[in-house]
Amino acid sequence: MAEIIVVTSGKGGVGKTTSSAAIGTGLALKGFKTVLIDFDVGLRNLDLIMGCERRVVYDFVNVINKEATLNQALIRDKRTENLYILPASQTRDKDALSVEGVEAVLNELAESFDYIVCDSPAGIEKGAQLALYFADTAIVVTNPEVSSVRDSDRILGVLQSKSRKAEQGESVKEHLLLTRYNPNRVEAGEMLSVDDVKEILAIPLLGVIPESEAVLKASNQGVPVILDADSDAGQAYDDAIARFLGEDREHRFLNVERKGFLSRVFGRKG
Amino acid sequence: MIRLAPEIFTRKFNHKDFSVSETTPMPQAVNQEFETRCFQFKSTRAALNELILSTSDTALLKPQLAEHAAKVPMLFSNMPVILNLQQLSEAPDLDALSSLLDLCRELSLVPVGLKADPDTSSELCRHLKLADFSHQRRLSKENEPEPSQPEPPAATEPVTPPVQTAPGAAKVITTPVRSGQQVYARGTDLIILAPVSAGAEVMADGHIHVYGPLRGRAMAGVTGNVEARIFCQSMEAELISIAGYFKTSEDLHSECWQQPTQALLRGSRLDTVSL
Ligand SMILES: Nc1ncnc2c1ncn2[C@@H]1O[C@H](COP(=O)(O)OP(=O)(O)O)[C@@H](O)[C@H]1O
Ligand SMILES: [Mg+2]
Repeated sequence: MAEIIVVTSGKGGVGKTTSSAAIGTGLALKGFKTVLIDFDVGLRNLDLIMGCERRVVYDFVNVINKEATLNQALIRDKRTENLYILPASQTRDKDALSVEGVEAVLNELAESFDYIVCDSPAGIEKGAQLALYFADTAIVVTNPEVSSVRDSDRILGVLQSKSRKAEQGESVKEHLLLTRYNPNRVEAGEMLSVDDVKEILAIPLLGVIPESEAVLKASNQGVPVILDADSDAGQAYDDAIARFLGEDREHRFLNVERKGFLSRVFGRKG
Repeated sequence: MIRLAPEIFTRKFNHKDFSVSETTPMPQAVNQEFETRCFQFKSTRAALNELILSTSDTALLKPQLAEHAAKVPMLFSNMPVILNLQQLSEAPDLDALSSLLDLCRELSLVPVGLKADPDTSSELCRHLKLADFSHQRRLSKENEPEPSQPEPPAATEPVTPPVQTAPGAAKVITTPVRSGQQVYARGTDLIILAPVSAGAEVMADGHIHVYGPLRGRAMAGVTGNVEARIFCQSMEAELISIAGYFKTSEDLHSECWQQPTQALLRGSRLDTVSL
């Protein structure tokens, strides 16, 4: 039976799609058969980040409307074994998705996949609610700023009250993924620190992804950043996946990197 | 100029209480029942607020009521009220009264009755299709024990509402109350063993205890219990209110910010005391 993971945030532009691509790829790299679903109907870009936009024939809405079978719509990732993508429709709007339709697709996927990763649209309305409704686990993507944290708090409330698990009296497992973290700006007091965000949201921290040039580069090339093993963001996502699967790894990239020999030696003192 | 005071009435017919999510129903004492084929009268108890006016000038009243409504929107969402005119030096005429009622409705209050000069009230109520509570005072006093505490000076004899005191009756919440969520402990205390986020609202007819930071809005004694208190481990609230008296985070910043705090009413003053 597959585990359904929703990558959600409330706020837009915080790194949900970037994270979904990295998480899906990371799980597949560990040998789990994984499917990435783009729930952002009308604003599809998961396929761009995954570099498979030219191979899209059918989409999620086609499958729901029975205009195509799942097998026709699923795109097998060329780089990573065990990884599939179900793209969103670019031409429809969010009303094209129905609870029954989504459930039928998820049930069919659950038969053959280990993980189903749902990339949620922004907001707390219908589209986002549908993306999280069937989730077993939520990865809440948050940037270290007040408005993003507030929206994440809001979506945590929705997870607790409007998900299927909540309706059944259970709870969705919650993880915090802090992205676009910039230790320099935290030190300057321009951004919230990891501890601030943890304090406010009070859920376990899965990982901290630093603000990184590598992300932009990767998404322009259509390669999930987790495959850039030399990059800080790639390594941070790799750590997060390891933690998700139960490994105990120390958090990295939390502090300002000291430049130069002297500051490297003396920088941490005092 | 305005104050919301509690009132008890013992008979009601299809009275719609103000609606909030997650409610605990109050036990209803049924005193008498007349069964007929098409309907049924049921006598129940419900707490009802009185809006005691010290002016009938809607121009003066409107901004103050609107401000109050904006700060405690939950309190105003379709809350039934009795309009109390007994503090007014001059009784408003029918036209003035109509515009007062319109103002209330505009702000999502539901006027259900009138408390006015007993000599003229029945005439007014008949015109306005409101229930007459002008003779109510004596009636409710017969049924309710005298309030045991000194009363706030601005109030006219508030009657202690029926806060449930049975052990274990409090509503207990163990998970964080998130932005956008509301929790209401009807007729009892509310105990929260988790943070209350900014943008969340917690309400109780009795006390509110938060064993964690209180960052949202907390309203204790919402049906008018002036004895209700708010306790929290770290006061970071957007707003606190007891029996309709409130303080905003601006006030709290200079008093007890991030401190373990209790808030209580002393007369008509909402005080914060560090714990
Ligand atoms: N760790 C990061 N460092 C730098 N830029 C990032 C990072 N994560 C995301 N971004 C950028 O932020 C923008 C929004 O990311 P995206 O994943 O599309 O967010 P969402 O799906 O939440 O709207 C993109 O331009 C992306 O390249
Ligand atoms: Mg996106």
